[in-house]
Amino acid sequence: MSSGELSGGGATRIVKALGRPDPRHSAPSGVWGMALFLCAEVALFGTIIGSYFYLESVDRSWPPHGVDRPEVLLPALATTYLLITLLPIHLAARCSRRGKRGATVAAIALALLAQCGYLAWQIVLFADDLHRFSPRQTAYGSIYFTMLAVHHAHVLLGLALDLALISQLLARGLTRYWLIAVRNLALYWYVVGALAVCVLFTQISPSL
Amino acid sequence: MATTVPREAETYVNRLELIWKPRPGLLGWLTTTDHKRIGILYFFTSLLLFGAGGAEALLMRTQLLGPHGHVISPRVYDQMFTLHGITMIFLFVIPMTTGAFGNYLLPLMIGARDMAFPRMNAVSYWIYLCSAIFMYISLAGGHAPNAGWFDYVPLASKRFDPGVNIDFYGFGLIFNSLSSTAAAINFIVTIFKMRAPGMSLNRMPLFCYAFLAASFALLFALPALSLAALLLELDRNLGFHFYDPAHGGSVLLWQNLFWIFGHPEVYIIILPAFGIATSIIPTFTHRRMVLFPLVALAEVMVAFLGFGVWAHHMFTVGLPTSATIYFAAASLIIVIPSAIQLFAWIATILTGKPDFKTPLLFIVGFIIYFILGGLSGITLAAIPFDQQVHDSYYVIAHFHMVIFGAAVFPILGGMYYWFPKVTGRMYNERVGKASFWLTFLGTLVTFFPMHILGLLGMPRRNYTYPAHMGWTLMNLMESIGAYMLAAGLLTIVLNLFLSMVFGKQADDPFHGDTLEWSTSSPPAPYNFVVIPTVTTPYGMYDTEDRRRDNKRLARGEGLLDEGHETPMTTAQDAELVEVLEMPPHSIWPPVCALLLSGMFAMLLLVHYWIAGAFLVLAGMALLAWHSHEEHA
Repeated sequence: MSSGELSGGGATRIVKALGRPDPRHSAPSGVWGMALFLCAEVALFGTIIGSYFYLESVDRSWPPHGVDRPEVLLPALATTYLLITLLPIHLAARCSRRGKRGATVAAIALALLAQCGYLAWQIVLFADDLHRFSPRQTAYGSIYFTMLAVHHAHVLLGLALDLALISQLLARGLTRYWLIAVRNLALYWYVVGALAVCVLFTQISPSL
Repeated sequence: MATTVPREAETYVNRLELIWKPRPGLLGWLTTTDHKRIGILYFFTSLLLFGAGGAEALLMRTQLLGPHGHVISPRVYDQMFTLHGITMIFLFVIPMTTGAFGNYLLPLMIGARDMAFPRMNAVSYWIYLCSAIFMYISLAGGHAPNAGWFDYVPLASKRFDPGVNIDFYGFGLIFNSLSSTAAAINFIVTIFKMRAPGMSLNRMPLFCYAFLAASFALLFALPALSLAALLLELDRNLGFHFYDPAHGGSVLLWQNLFWIFGHPEVYIIILPAFGIATSIIPTFTHRRMVLFPLVALAEVMVAFLGFGVWAHHMFTVGLPTSATIYFAAASLIIVIPSAIQLFAWIATILTGKPDFKTPLLFIVGFIIYFILGGLSGITLAAIPFDQQVHDSYYVIAHFHMVIFGAAVFPILGGMYYWFPKVTGRMYNERVGKASFWLTFLGTLVTFFPMHILGLLGMPRRNYTYPAHMGWTLMNLMESIGAYMLAAGLLTIVLNLFLSMVFGKQADDPFHGDTLEWSTSSPPAPYNFVVIPTVTTPYGMYDTEDRRRDNKRLARGEGLLDEGHETPMTTAQDAELVEVLEMPPHSIWPPVCALLLSGMFAMLLLVHYWIAGAFLVLAGMALLAWHSHEEHA
């Protein structure tokens, strides 16, 4: 029961004793939890990217002989596309705040479709890279593919969250609990988008 | 001045009892989301593992009792020192401090009825338990990790360690770090959002500052360890080359990643101990903590600066001079916040009226060992000295002074201090003091001679030594000290276990200064009958707040007796934001932990598709636990 919905004797007793609740000026604890989880994810990507540049600093040829410099255009386009898919996510967060369940579900479904396309595109690029060089050949290949795989795993997790949230919103409606979940989903995707940009620049750095 | 229940409020209390009533029996413990029960589970599990880690240490000390020992083989010795380090650091100290003390006490100290995320709290415990079992199963068949707790490559690479020993280490630590990350998030949100109305940040107990700093450090340090272990497993099992210089990798990448985690880890271990010390000292000196704001700031500064010193573990690997000088200087800077706290503790004791009961004795022991460990730490920050004694017993002496003397002593003092709170009974004071002296002297006799042995050149991790090296007497002393120490620890355990049954009834025997003492001992499942309000950092010294609580109780105000509820407040000033409904019991946290265990077991057995299936099932279990909605 939300404080805003408090009624009866209990509510009066709480207000008298502790003051009138005001939920407008504080993020829910669920949002705090997601923000902190994402801090850990940022730290994880920070150490991956740090490892990439550390290995580059100890290897004289980067990428090693026999491996072409990474392509710039297609990964950059793919990342831009991912950033565009954040628009329906942002829209979903706005619609949910206004209590529009149908529009929220539709926006998340649109984002889900678009992000599935992104992941499929990235898998094609990943497979193409694997044909050209292997993570088992050199440390460059190892860190290159690991960094991309960890990013793709985060996209996959985001897709699972999209799907789970759509099912819950359809089954249970836009309760306050799931409203916070939509807000968290948006937060998750914003951070994944920002990390995708960092991964992109690391990935293409030898070609810049 | 504990809150007393007037007759007219009994109806409300009965209602709270009904709402918060725990499930009976084993199922109640399996499905519990009550922070106190989870704290107790953490306590007994980590105590058991402390016993296992201690037994490993005793085996090693028995082996080293004299030259040419043959008690255990070199292979078993390698596994013992590795498992001892992993157990004490990952499976005992952190779970005991954050898991047991933090879980049980922190919500009580801030006037909350539970942690911010009770089910996540439960899953943290079950994952911790499963990861401990996962790592200890390795002992069967002699497959325990065997490359030291920091597991340096290339020793830990497939080429030099082809069995599954290192895989138990790698997957076990990744598994364990899931638990610690979830716990860290939970503590931070609990501290920021669940404080009692009026408990603004400047009125929060120093204990909470210490746990806040340790939780932030955990959150940002653990990803480096998880990544290091992941890359190691990719190298070992899929033929990648992160740590292989022949293919462009670097063995120093492991050392950097490990110590980026490993040095903050030292402060993660010791910060909660600082928090315990700052709780015990004011109570037994009958005065407020000297330099309260500076101590709070120093606790946070220690955690922050801890991230900038990792390479002082790597002074012998050939780093550039500028880097070694930077890390040496940064290591010395940490002395400043540490010394602020040290002076504050000593000044509080000297300017108060100290009552040297068992908990305070352990804190005095902690201060002595913290100074000794700190001084040897300063010597290790001197680059040439560090290079001379690197990998010798001097280093072991230093970190045991810090980790055992300075981190475990407050834990032992804290066990005595909060024993009446948790059990409602009093321990035996005379036996308590005897246990302190045994433990104190045992620690000194075990670890002090290690400084001398290190200076004499005895390298660490050697399973035996020849008779003509002049190391025999010191090793004999250390082994005798280890048995003395074990006797002291057993005395503590016996004292507390027997007092649980035979101890006198006690509610608030020490007149503690923080809010946990305002409620009954042991606390009711709902913690507080009336939600406390706070206008001072010393909730129990400034009794006006408690009188006001009692009046509100008599009027039936501020009880939150309409549901499984607790208040949520603003992060800075702790103004009431809303009333949160807390989740009930749930079977999903242990189910989720079991499924993750299946995943890690399959990864170990190189069945990746089955591991993936377990991960999907764990995800479905996570979804299922949202079948009950409450305020997120």
